[in-house]
Amino acid sequence: MNTDEVDILLVDDSQDDVDLTLHALRAEKLANHVFIARDGEEALDFLFCSGPHAQRSFDHPPKLVLLDLKMPKVDGLQVLKQIKADPRTRTIPVVLMTSSREERDMASGYDLGVNSYIQKPVDFSEFRKVVKLLGLYWLVTNRPPVNNGKSQTAGQGS
Amino acid sequence: MSSTGTKLETPGAKPHPKLRALLVEDNALDAALVVRALFKEGFDVIADVVQDEAAFTKALLAHNPEVVLADYNLPNWKGMEVLTVLRREGLDIPMILVSGALGDVTAVECIKQGATDYVLKDGLARLPEVVRRALREKHERSLRHQVEKDLAKKADELARSNADLEQFAYVASHDLQEPLRMVAAYTQLLSERYKGKLDETADKFIGYASDGALRMQVLIQDLLAFSRVGRNTAASEGIDCNGVMKEVLQTLAAAIQESGAVVTHGELPAIWGDRTQIAQVFQNLIGNAIKFRGDNSPAISVQAEKTDQHWLFTVSDNGIGIAPEHAENIFVVFQRLHARTEYPGNGIGLAICKKIVERYGGRIWVEAQAGSGSTFKFTMPLHGPDEKPEVQP
Amino acid sequence: MKPVPALFIVDDNPADLGLAREALARCAYRGQISSAGDGVEAMAFLTRREKFADAVRPDLVILDLNLPKKDGLAVLAGMKAHPELRRIPVVIFSTSQLARDITRSYELGANCYISKPGNLNEFFSTIKAIEEFWFGPVKLPPRGE
Repeated sequence: MNTDEVDILLVDDSQDDVDLTLHALRAEKLANHVFIARDGEEALDFLFCSGPHAQRSFDHPPKLVLLDLKMPKVDGLQVLKQIKADPRTRTIPVVLMTSSREERDMASGYDLGVNSYIQKPVDFSEFRKVVKLLGLYWLVTNRPPVNNGKSQTAGQGS
Repeated sequence: MSSTGTKLETPGAKPHPKLRALLVEDNALDAALVVRALFKEGFDVIADVVQDEAAFTKALLAHNPEVVLADYNLPNWKGMEVLTVLRREGLDIPMILVSGALGDVTAVECIKQGATDYVLKDGLARLPEVVRRALREKHERSLRHQVEKDLAKKADELARSNADLEQFAYVASHDLQEPLRMVAAYTQLLSERYKGKLDETADKFIGYASDGALRMQVLIQDLLAFSRVGRNTAASEGIDCNGVMKEVLQTLAAAIQESGAVVTHGELPAIWGDRTQIAQVFQNLIGNAIKFRGDNSPAISVQAEKTDQHWLFTVSDNGIGIAPEHAENIFVVFQRLHARTEYPGNGIGLAICKKIVERYGGRIWVEAQAGSGSTFKFTMPLHGPDEKPEVQP
Repeated sequence: MKPVPALFIVDDNPADLGLAREALARCAYRGQISSAGDGVEAMAFLTRREKFADAVRPDLVILDLNLPKKDGLAVLAGMKAHPELRRIPVVIFSTSQLARDITRSYELGANCYISKPGNLNEFFSTIKAIEEFWFGPVKLPPRGE
C-alpha cells in the first residue's frame, strides 16, 4: 500500500480487535487505506517517518490515528504525547479507543490533547456500530488539517 | 566664448524635411560647411552652434535637437563630453562626431563610448546619409520602446483585473452564498412545516421561493467553477488521457449504471495540460451524452486522432442530437435548449469545456443533426512545455 | 444513568442557530442548548462571569469562526488556556473552507473541523452526525464543576 495515501493508522496489539475494526470499516467501504501498527513504537516510526518508514513524508499524514492504550514497547498515552508535542504531527486527529475503564486514563488522554476518547464496547455488534460511527465521522464528516503535499480541501478546480 | 549659441539656417527655399540640429563647433566656417553638406542632400536645417557645456545644455533643453554634431577637439571642451550631458539629461539623441583626422582606434573607441557615428571634416559628403541612418534607427528605437511600455501596462492591467476577479470570486463564493443559504434553508423549512396547513396558494408561493433559492445556490456554484477555470494555478503536466478516462468513468459510474450506458474509447494519447481540467472536459461531454439520451441506452465513443497541427478528440453519442442552428449557442454560459423539467442542469458544462479547451489554444465544436446523436470534437496542442503556445493566466 | 450532555453553540447568525436547534430537535436530542452570538459573550458564559454566574458548564462546544468582538479562534485559544475549560471538546462549525482556517483551528487545539453545508438536508445530517458521534460512543470528560 502506498503509505502516503493512508486514511487511518490503526494502532492495536490485539489481533481480534484489529480484525473486528477492519471488518466494520470494510462494511462502510472505509477500509481501503488502513495501515496497521502492532505497537506504539511502530506507530511512532510511521508518523515520524523514521526506521522502516523513513521514506514516508510529513506532508501526507493519515486522516485519523485510531490508538489503543495498553500496548507493549510504547503505550498509547506515550504515543499520543509525542504526536501532540511535535508541530509536524500535532494536528493529526487522534482517537483513543481502549478497553480501559479507568477515569484517570481518560483524563490523561484529554489533557494530552486527544481529539476524542472512546471505550471499546464489549459486545461485538456494539463494537461494530461504534467503529462505523467513528469511521464515518472522521473520514467523511470531518475536514482533516490541510497539508503542503496533499491538499484535502474539496472543490478544487472543479 | 559666448554662452548663447548662434543659429544657422539653410538658405533659400525649403522643400525638404526640417532637421533641428545642435552643433558643437568653435569654427564658424566648419559649422557652415556642415549645414551646407546636409542641405545639399535634402535637409532643411535649423542649427544651434555652441562651444561649451553650459551653452550646450541650455540649447539642448530649449530647442530639443534631433541630432547632435560635435567636433572632437574644442578649445574649452571635449566633443565626447556631449555624451555625458546627454546621459545626465536622460536623452536618447544621436551624436555624430564631425572631426578632423581621428585614428581608427580613437574612432572605434568613441563609438564604443556611445557616439552614433563619426564623419571626417574632409568627408562631409557622407554626413547626410549618416544622419539619415541615425534618425531612422532612433525612430525604430522609440517605436520599440513604446510597444514595450504598452505591453507592460497591459500586463499590469491584466494582473489587477485578475486580482479583482479573484476577490470577486471569493466574495461571491462566501458572502453572497450566506444570505442565500438562509433563504434556501428557511423556505424549505417553511415548506416542510406548513405544507397543507396554509392554503394552496401559500403552498405554491413557498414552493416557488424555495425552488428559486435552491436554483440560485447551484447557479452561483457553477459560475464560480466557470470563473475558476481561468484562474486555476495548478501546474500543467504531461497526462495520459487513458488514465484520465478511467477516472472520469469512475466518477460517472452511478450515471452510467443507471442509464445502462456503454462508453468505449480508442487508444488515447498523452497530452500536456492540467489533469483536473482535462478530466472536466471529458466528464462534461460524456456526462451530457448520458443525460441527453433518447429512448435507447446511450452508446458513447471517445476517439483521438493525430493531425499535422493538433490532437483531435471526438466524443460521439446516439442521443437526442442538436439542431444545427443551435450548434454555436450551446457553448454559451447558461444557454439551455430544453426546459428544466425535461433535462436538469444549468447549461454551464459546455461553456466550461470551451473555456478550458481554448485556454490551451484548442477549438471545440459539435457536428450534429437533431434526433440522430451528436459528435463533439475538440483539439489540443501536440506539444508540451518546450514548444508550448502562450497559456493565458 | 448518565446525564444528558449539555451543548453550547457559538454563532453570530441567529438563523444558523435556529437551524442547528431545529436539526437537534429532529435528532431527538433533549439536552440543554445554550448559545452566544459573539466571542466575548461566549467567554463570559464559559467562565461564568457576571450574569452567567449560574451557567451550566457545557460538555461540548460547537464554535463558528467568524464572530464579532472576538473571533472563534480567539475563543478556542482562550478555552485551551483555561484550566477548567481546556478539556471540553470543541467542534469548529464554519462555512470557511480556507486552508489556513482549518489548519489554524487544529493547531490551536480544536477537536475537529466541520464545514457548514449550504444544502439544508446536508446541514441537518451533519448536525446529526455531530450529535450521534459526540453524544454516542465518545466518553466525554467529566464536567469540571
